[in-house]
Amino acid sequence: MSSSLRLGLLLASVLVLGLILYSIIKKYLNIKYSIVWILWALGSLLMAIFPETFYGLSDLLGIQLPVNTVFLIMTALLYALTFYVYIMISKHNEQIISLTYEVASLKKELEELKKKNER
Amino acid sequence: MKTLVIIPAYNEQDNLLSLIEDIRNRGYDYLVINDCSTDGTEELLKENDLNHFDLPINLGIAGVTRVGFKYAKDHDYDCAVCVDGDGQHPPKYIHDLISEIEKGNDYVVGSRFVDQKKPVTMRMLGSRLLCFLIKVKTGRSVKDPTSGMRALGKKVIGQFADSMNFYAEPDALCYLLHKGLKVKEVQVEMKEREAGVSYFHNPFKSIYYMMSVCLSILFVQ
Repeated sequence: MSSSLRLGLLLASVLVLGLILYSIIKKYLNIKYSIVWILWALGSLLMAIFPETFYGLSDLLGIQLPVNTVFLIMTALLYALTFYVYIMISKHNEQIISLTYEVASLKKELEELKKKNER
Repeated sequence: MKTLVIIPAYNEQDNLLSLIEDIRNRGYDYLVINDCSTDGTEELLKENDLNHFDLPINLGIAGVTRVGFKYAKDHDYDCAVCVDGDGQHPPKYIHDLISEIEKGNDYVVGSRFVDQKKPVTMRMLGSRLLCFLIKVKTGRSVKDPTSGMRALGKKVIGQFADSMNFYAEPDALCYLLHKGLKVKEVQVEMKEREAGVSYFHNPFKSIYYMMSVCLSILFVQ
């Protein structure tokens, strides 16, 4: 891996870590969901500092350029993360339907009570 | 048998009143579910003091029927019948569906093609494909898998109320056949929409729908 790529990776990781912490402090991001992002940023930081680990891995996988191993890992992680998000969406979808049902029945009961009182 | 007619309605102010009048005259309990309509549906329901839900957000047809089944389950109905708010399902057939549930069936579909031949159109091509897939998966022949007019027995109401993966009518049907529940088709006539615009007006939505349903039939149900 070229030193400029390492430097770029290093800077990017530090920036991302900063952004994550900032988002948590500013309450844009839930701590529960921030852990995976923090681990990710730390991971890419480690990649930048110890690129040797990838040389061995690249040889093992038959990848000629270690930088491609970095891309591969990143892509795989992105897939995993997106899939997780889709699972969360499905779960939220169910919760929204249940909540909508509850809200609609409460609204209905309230209207009926109001009407009874008016009489 | 305690029966609830579930009527999903999205922007159906022109069709709704005559439909409900008809259902009321036949003596069934009904629940109109207004899926966040942008026209006067909500006011219409309020003014005429009809039994209805006003959903706070737009859920789409699958979510709306789920809400209806949850209501049927919570109010302990023995049978729930889905009738579209656009007036394409004539209420005179509700009785036929219910009497089949009374005979011990778990799920009764109001089918356009029990006695009649399927016309050759793009939509019916899709219907044929779904019939074929259901036949492959369950070994059972169905005639009209996409029919939205159906009656559910108590067992099925509970299952549909709580499970997320009944994307649409055909895969729900496939699931029930696969589980060995008693499913029956009854001949009904359906009308063309009286007013309003159908969901399948958009070809991309139709393709997406077909893909999801095929996938669901083959691998999930």
